[in-house]
Formats: sequence, C-alpha cells, structure tokens
Amino acid sequence: MTDAESGRPAPAAGRAERRGGPPEDWEAPRDRWLSTAVRPAFGPRSVLLEVATRLLTPAILTFAVFLLVSGHDRPGGGFAGGLVASMAYVLRYIAGGRHELAAGIPMQPNRLLALGLLLAGGTACAPLLFGRPVLEVVSHTVVLPLFGKVKFASYLLFESGVFLIVVGLVLSVVAALGARMEAEEYEARERGGAWGPEEGGAA
Amino acid sequence: MNALLAVPFVVPLMGAALALLLRGRRRLQAGVAVATLAVVVVDTALLLVATADGTVLTSQAGAWEAPLGITIVADPLAALLLAVSSVVLLVVQLYAIGQDIGGLSRAMPQVFHPIYLVLTAGVCLSFLAGDLFNLFVGFEIMLTASYALITQAPTRARVRASMIYTVVSLTSSILFLTGIALVYGLTGTVNLADIAVKLGSAPAELRMVLALLFLVVFGIKAAIVPMHFWLPDSYPVAITRISAIFAALLTKVAVYAIIRSQTLLFGRDDISAVLLCVAIATMLVGIFGALVQDDINRLMSFALVSHIGFMIFGLGVNSVAALAGVVIYLVHHIVVQANLFLVNGLIRQYVGHSSLRSMRGLTTVSPVLALYFFLPAMSLAGLPPLSGFVAKVALFQAGVGTGGWLVYTALGAGVLTSLLTLMAIFRVWARGFWGTPMPDMVEARERLKRGAHLGGLKFMAVMTGVMVAFGVLIAVCAGPLSEVAFTAAHGLMNGSAYIEAVLGSDAR
Repeated sequence: MTDAESGRPAPAAGRAERRGGPPEDWEAPRDRWLSTAVRPAFGPRSVLLEVATRLLTPAILTFAVFLLVSGHDRPGGGFAGGLVASMAYVLRYIAGGRHELAAGIPMQPNRLLALGLLLAGGTACAPLLFGRPVLEVVSHTVVLPLFGKVKFASYLLFESGVFLIVVGLVLSVVAALGARMEAEEYEARERGGAWGPEEGGAA
Repeated sequence: MNALLAVPFVVPLMGAALALLLRGRRRLQAGVAVATLAVVVVDTALLLVATADGTVLTSQAGAWEAPLGITIVADPLAALLLAVSSVVLLVVQLYAIGQDIGGLSRAMPQVFHPIYLVLTAGVCLSFLAGDLFNLFVGFEIMLTASYALITQAPTRARVRASMIYTVVSLTSSILFLTGIALVYGLTGTVNLADIAVKLGSAPAELRMVLALLFLVVFGIKAAIVPMHFWLPDSYPVAITRISAIFAALLTKVAVYAIIRSQTLLFGRDDISAVLLCVAIATMLVGIFGALVQDDINRLMSFALVSHIGFMIFGLGVNSVAALAGVVIYLVHHIVVQANLFLVNGLIRQYVGHSSLRSMRGLTTVSPVLALYFFLPAMSLAGLPPLSGFVAKVALFQAGVGTGGWLVYTALGAGVLTSLLTLMAIFRVWARGFWGTPMPDMVEARERLKRGAHLGGLKFMAVMTGVMVAFGVLIAVCAGPLSEVAFTAAHGLMNGSAYIEAVLGSDAR
C-alpha cells in the first residue's frame, strides 16, 4: 500500500523471488509506465499492455470529450462519451490492478455519480424557475476566431452530467466487482484460508 | 404548472445526489432525504388539489410538442396515487431513520437514503408518464433501485431472494420493451394519448394480443396469479422498511399501469372475461397461501397477492362505479400494506423473529403494538368502519349493479376471500397475540427497555402510529375520497379529456 501512496516503484526485490517470479533486477522492467508499480494480483505484469495503456489513455479521454461535445447534431453525446472515458480507466485497471485504478480516478466513483446527477438534474430543473417545461434547452450561436461558428447550448451541461454519471457508474461496477473482489481474494490468500467468515446482518 | 409536474421526479433525483455526496454524515444525509420527500409531499398535495375536479394537467418536457416529445401528465388518478404514495414514502423513511438512530439495524450502509430517493423518483415518474417509453423508464428507475434495496444488509437468504426477484423483473422488462416495439410498429408512436387515438382503427385481434401482452407485463410486476410466485419468496426476506415500501407501492404502480393501459389504450370489453378469471384465481390462490404460512411476513405477502385480485376484479367489471372502487381500493391497500409490514418490523424488534410458532402473548408484551396490528388487519379483512370496508363495498356494489354470471362468481370469490383473510388474521392473533408471553419474549422486552435503543424504537412506534392514523383518516375522509375516485373513474372510462389535454382539442 505504501508503494501505491508514494507512487514509487516497489523496491522489494526479495518478494518477487519468494513468489517464484523472476528476480526484480533481471527481467522486470525498471521504468514506470503507470502511476503505480504494484504488480497486479492476477497473473504476471505485461509491459506491452502497460505501455499501450500509457499511450492510449490521453487519446481515449480526448476522444471521449470530442464525443461529448459533438453530441448534439452528430452521433455521440454524454452517454457515449462517458462509456469511452470509463474504458480508459478500465484499461488502466486491467493493466495495473486495483491500485492503478485507485491512483487513476480523480475522485470516488460515488462522488462522480452524485456530481453528475446534480449537474444533469440542475440543468433539467433550471427552466422550471422561469416557468418553462423541464429539460428545455437554451442555445446561443457565436462566431469564434479559429473555430468558426460555435453553438453553446445548455444541453452541453446536461450531457456533461450524463457523462459523469456514466463514468461514475462504470467505475463503481469495476470497483465493486473487480477491485474489491481482487482485494478480498488477496486478503484471503494472505490469511492462508479460502474465504473469510460469512458476513451477515439482520434487521 | 410545469414545475408542479416535474418536481415529484426531479427533486428526489437531486436529493439522491446530495445524499450520496453526504455519505458519512448520517444526520445531514437523513435531513436532506426527509426534506426532499417533504417537498414531494407538498407538491403532490398541490397536484391533487389542482386535478381533483377532473382537470388533466400536462407538461411537455423540453417544449417538444406532444406526440414527439416526452409528455408528463397528471390526471386525478395519478395525482391521488402520487399524494398517497409520497406520504407513505415519507413515513416509512422516518421509520427507517428511527431504526438507524436507535442503532437497531446493524451497520446499515449509508447508501440507503440515496437509493430510496431514486426509488421515489421512479415511482413518481411511473405515475406521471404520458408515454409508454417514459413509463418504461420510470419502471426501470424504480426497479433498479429496488434491486439494490432488496440486498441491503446481505445475507445468504437475501441474495438468493434477490436473484429470483431480479430475474423475474428483468423478464417482465424485456417483455415490456417487446410490447413497446410492437405498439410502435403498429401505430408509429409511443405517446399514450396518440396510441389511444390510433389503436382505434387497428384490427381487433391485434389489439387483443397487445392488451394481453401488456396484462402479462404488468401482471408479473403486480403479482397476479399465475405470475405471483416470486413475490412471497422475495419480499419477506428483505429488511422490514424495504419490504414495507415494496409491498405498499411497487405492486400498486404495476396495478396503476394495468389500469392505465387497459382503459386508455385497449377496448376493455375484449379481455374483461380474462380479467375476471385472473381476479378470481388471484384472490383465492393468494389467501389459501396465506392461511398455511408460519412467518408473519410471508403470510402478509400472500395476503397482498390475494388482495391485488380485488383491483383486477374491479377493472374486469368495467364500469365507472367499479373503477372508482378500484381507485379507493388502491389508496386503501397502499396504506394498509405499508402499515402491516411496519408493524411486522416492530414485532421483529420485540421478539427477534417473525415466526408464529414461537410467539405468544404479544398483547401483554406491548398493548400498543397489538392495537397497531389490529386496526390495519381488520381494515384488510374489510370490517366496518375501516377503509377496507369502504373500498370493498364500493367494489361489490359496482359488481352487483353490473350482473353477468362471471361477475357474480368473482363477487362470491371476493366475499370468500374477505372471510378467509379474517381467518388468517385471527390465526395470527390467536397464536401470536393471545396467551401468556413466552419467557424469552419478556426477557427481550426488558432488554429493549433497558437498552440504549429505546429512543429509536419509540420513534419507530410513533411512525407506525402515524401510518395507522393515516389509514383511519382514509376511512374518515371516505366522502371526499370517493368523489375524487369517481372523477378519476369518469376520466378513465371516457379518455377524451386525457387525450385532449395531451394532444390538443383537435385530436379526434
């Protein structure tokens, strides 16, 4: 855990040998391609995947924003953009395991979800204050240098909310079904037993 | 007007977001949740006042005109059900907060309030939806929230029950989507009012098929026989406050959808015989199931199934009086079911379980609890002067006025069911409430009295009392209620007011 927090590569050379893996100074790559250098709990580390993830992540995120902004008249929008953006994080999780996921996301998935819902709900509600129907759109077209004609519309805020909701939702699912199960499995293996005691709670 | 119609589903969603951000600050989160629901209660009360004279309010989301855009519609039926549901939702939430304050529920995760508010939004949107697809969206919001709620505080039994629940609900959702696709293929629209206009010229057989398909879709969710099997298996297993709200609202939203689709969209005469047969089966199978149960929650779940039959019966009779009876029955049933499950929750707090076999002398342990059980239970059985009596009389009168041997058979089944309900309740009373209390029950009570949980428990009891009072209030206000119900029933039978309000006066 300390490695993940400080963001430094793990200096534990002896650990890899004990696990039966190759020694740290022999085959393992020294360069840090992802923000955490903790080995994924499942399977060996794949440098190729890490490098690809490192290179692809910015591109995927940019594409996600493109989809978000272009969504009004062309295919795309908050939902598609959100899915694409969350794929960037899923890729990071696959390449680097749960610590990489935790280091990569800007905030708790729940908070992302909540902020997105607030943003979308707020935009949907705003016309109500003026006695207009819910979800009504206000748009304004301006001519900018370089960009040409650009349309600013309130749906972009709504779509951004949807974007955040989708990212938050996918990351929650990954965190719950991937990272948490992985962590539990790791703990169970550390303890030497199969699974912990049945956790129950009655009303 | 626009704001009035949008608040019931937008505000709970925003409240859910806020509550989610406030995880870790229990009191603040509970405050936000209560405030949100209070706003919804006030708003729906205003809606009810505005529509009580038969006015149909509409709002076109995004200002897109009717057949194309999303239409939000509130007619007297929707407004009445919204108003009652939101009060029930608020009271159950306060009950839940009482349970949490007292620390009576072990380590309740702090996502309860956000999910509960999302469920509220789904319920409200289902009632207000003016098009088939939005109805689907409302259902899905409600169901997705319920999937999460039913596995709160997961145990082996809960996970197992939730699997059944989720699979059955998803099946109905898939069929629902199929139905929407078929309707769209036939009419080229999903707007309810527009479908109503265009289906009139569709071939009768096709209309019949669609009517039956939608009866199956909503019938699964309303737990009408033979599609009821999942309910007594899943509801009783969830924690009490959640099964209370499920029993009170989720099945009733589906009944509302049945009423809306069968009255507005399809010619009712087509399947009224089917409806009556299903109603008879539902009443009898449900109550016979209830008679052999040992667990109080399971017993009440079977009784719930059985009483859905009464509403289907009213729909099958197909007259203004019968529909008015259905509306009164819906209101009565929402409150009574919530009530009974809340009382069951209190019993569980006192006794530690809900099995009748090892329960005796609850009247001695807690007289107030006995009263809280007695009133709604008698109301469920239909004893005067409680609300169940009012609702049943309205239905039976309508049935007698209509005639036809099938209607009379269903009427007989209804009377029999009422008597058997009484018998089931007396079984609970005789086993659980009478007699000298078991020693461990007295001990548990003393422990509760000394324990630190007393404040929370008292709060829960007060909230149950509020719900009981609400049930009694329905009987007291039977006059105005039946006026609104008749207005709503006229609107349902006629349909033209609804269609005009949505599409404009030149629709026909």
